[in-house]
Amino acid sequence: MSLPNISRVSASGLLRSSCDLRWLLRSVAPLAAPRRALTHMGYRRPGQPREDRPPWWRVKFDLAKGLKGMKRHFKLLKEEFFAPFVGPMGKPIIEHMLEQNQVLWEFRGPHSLQEWTISCDREIGGKSEIYLKVGRNNESCLLYGTLCSDPPKDGETRYSGYCTMRSKQPLASFDRKKYHDWSSFNTLHLRVRGDGRPWMINIVPETYYTHQKDDMYSYFLYTRGGPYWQDVKIPFSKFFLAHRGRIQDDQHPVWLDKINSIGFTLGDKADGPFQLEIDFIGVCKDYAHTEDFAYEKYKRNPEV
Amino acid sequence: MKCSRCLLQLVRSGRTVVQRGSLLLSPSSGQLIVQHNQQQQVLRQFRCSPVSAKSQPELVRFVNDDGTKKTKSLVTQEDLFEQVAKESKTKATFNQVIDVFTKTDIRRRGHVEFIYAALKKMPEFGVERDLTVYNKLLDVFPKEVFVPRNFIQRMFNHYPRQQECGVQVLEQMESYGIMPNIETKVLLVQIFGEKSHPIRKYQRIMYWFPKFKHVNPFPVPQPLPEDPVDLAILSLNRIANDLDAKTTVYQLPFTDITESGEEISFPHIVGIQSPNQMELLAKHNPNRPVFVEGPFPLWLKKTCVYYYILRADPTPPEEKEEEVYDPERCFYYPLQLDLDLDRDLGDEENFDVDDLDEGPVFAMCMTSQGDQATLNQWISGLQQNNPILGRIPTLFRLDAGTRELEGVADTEAGHSHQPPPQSQREDGLPAEDSEAAVEEEEPRRSRGMKQ
Repeated sequence: MSLPNISRVSASGLLRSSCDLRWLLRSVAPLAAPRRALTHMGYRRPGQPREDRPPWWRVKFDLAKGLKGMKRHFKLLKEEFFAPFVGPMGKPIIEHMLEQNQVLWEFRGPHSLQEWTISCDREIGGKSEIYLKVGRNNESCLLYGTLCSDPPKDGETRYSGYCTMRSKQPLASFDRKKYHDWSSFNTLHLRVRGDGRPWMINIVPETYYTHQKDDMYSYFLYTRGGPYWQDVKIPFSKFFLAHRGRIQDDQHPVWLDKINSIGFTLGDKADGPFQLEIDFIGVCKDYAHTEDFAYEKYKRNPEV
Repeated sequence: MKCSRCLLQLVRSGRTVVQRGSLLLSPSSGQLIVQHNQQQQVLRQFRCSPVSAKSQPELVRFVNDDGTKKTKSLVTQEDLFEQVAKESKTKATFNQVIDVFTKTDIRRRGHVEFIYAALKKMPEFGVERDLTVYNKLLDVFPKEVFVPRNFIQRMFNHYPRQQECGVQVLEQMESYGIMPNIETKVLLVQIFGEKSHPIRKYQRIMYWFPKFKHVNPFPVPQPLPEDPVDLAILSLNRIANDLDAKTTVYQLPFTDITESGEEISFPHIVGIQSPNQMELLAKHNPNRPVFVEGPFPLWLKKTCVYYYILRADPTPPEEKEEEVYDPERCFYYPLQLDLDLDRDLGDEENFDVDDLDEGPVFAMCMTSQGDQATLNQWISGLQQNNPILGRIPTLFRLDAGTRELEGVADTEAGHSHQPPPQSQREDGLPAEDSEAAVEEEEPRRSRGMKQ
């Protein structure tokens, strides 16, 4: 098989050039998370200059805001002080022990949107858009936007095109971290109305070691589309462990006693507008579900 | 580098060899005797059978496109593909390029770069979902060279660039959702040995892909039907959420030639209605209007189709009547049970949320042209099975662009010329993009009363 008149580069020239080319610079698409207050600097887009300002410069000193904040914190502190007199978590103990369903987020009105952050790949230079607004008649929330999977031209990123919505970390008084405790439940129940796109639900628990920072337990949310609401029940035993978007070899079920946040991600490489309406998100205890974990826990890739 | 562009071809044996000098063949011994030129290029019989040439080798000189023979510009492997791309981009030409590369150099110099270039060019040639092409690409790697032979080599990430390249090939396969087969595994084992990174990646793919293959409770058939009517029937059945629903094709697409010689194409109209919806429509109060709303998007893998719905506002609480179950309707089991279940807190099975009442949906349809004339045709088609439609005023709320589904008939200011009786208005909704578009399209929107 010969092709005439093909210009050829010499073999040694090729070897030299392969070192120059950045074929081997592979980067995983960075984690789509809103900037967390506890991270040192957040994500820095490649090509953006580093900020040299000292971290205390970022704090804004404003008396009115400070006073309002103080009032809010002390109010929360008072509530926290008197809550244990009612029972654990502020609920009577019989309710805490026996309850079978708990509604976590119910989207009724603009105040319910305060607990959520949205983010898309615009942070890394992509072209997607995402917006969150209250649905018709304050009865749901609508997450909509456009997905565009053109990767940003910064030489590093290879894949792009994602949009996410994530719940904010619950905070106690004085901005202390509070965790969701779902240890008495075993199923996640959502009422959504999508447009047929497959979403991914990510649960981020609180971890101890730094290398566990981007650990996420994920599962798929397939929407049917159409004008009818869809009840989705996903047992927590189905969530698999992923780190920075890569599924891990050593799997274990998600520990439900300290959950930081839950999020929805769209990254199905289908460019175009999308929308997802959520009515409520709750957890429930399904006595019929006895599965411990859906994936094998033994070591499947023994060491070399 | 005088003859840097020389390419010697052994025509008979079909094996091409690149060298910077000239190559002599002695027919008697059947072995290649190589002249050592300035670059000390020595060609050995490298894991292949001895070449028996029957004729003098031909010296073929390739030149650059612009005729200069001594340019020192960097020519990347992608140029190979681009040269071929000028003619036609098919699987055959892609395979051809790979063949040219494999047969050019026995040592496959620059194969890593070539494979990366090939991976990048695959979508252009349309072969990114073809497993045979990936296997052929993996075949470009020389076999057995990169297999570690002792424990030190195994420890120290033997041939990291090539392993990374192999992993990237598998990664592209994974991102397109292609399951590798046994040939891939055999190739990978031959190239990299067991316990190498590409084999590990292959094992991971083979573990997780089957687990997630059937995880979609609403699977989309692959490939999607080409015919728009079939696609409409498929998607309507999907969103109907009712197995008893019946689809009706009110009109097949056809083109009509008018008297003036113009061709007018008529779109297809496919509708769906389930018996429950028919019942609801029959019970609807004729004084209240029904709305034809749309188009709403529905995504099936990568195609977006649009559907329209016929719905009404929820009945206000004063008009709601209790449905009395006729006990004689069913003798096998009672339709209504009044049990005093002694349920305490631990048996509460429903969530403590207010039930949304968004009004019933009576029917859905899909059509390629969503103008009022077409939808009128749909309504008249529906009327044959639901005679009450003839007495109910129908309002059309057709908007281009993404719209939220449903909701009580709260209209933004200026939405409808004739406010439906007792609809609630919400003034001053936040001006977002979609609503700004709604305001702009208001004069263009088709409004009509159908009696």
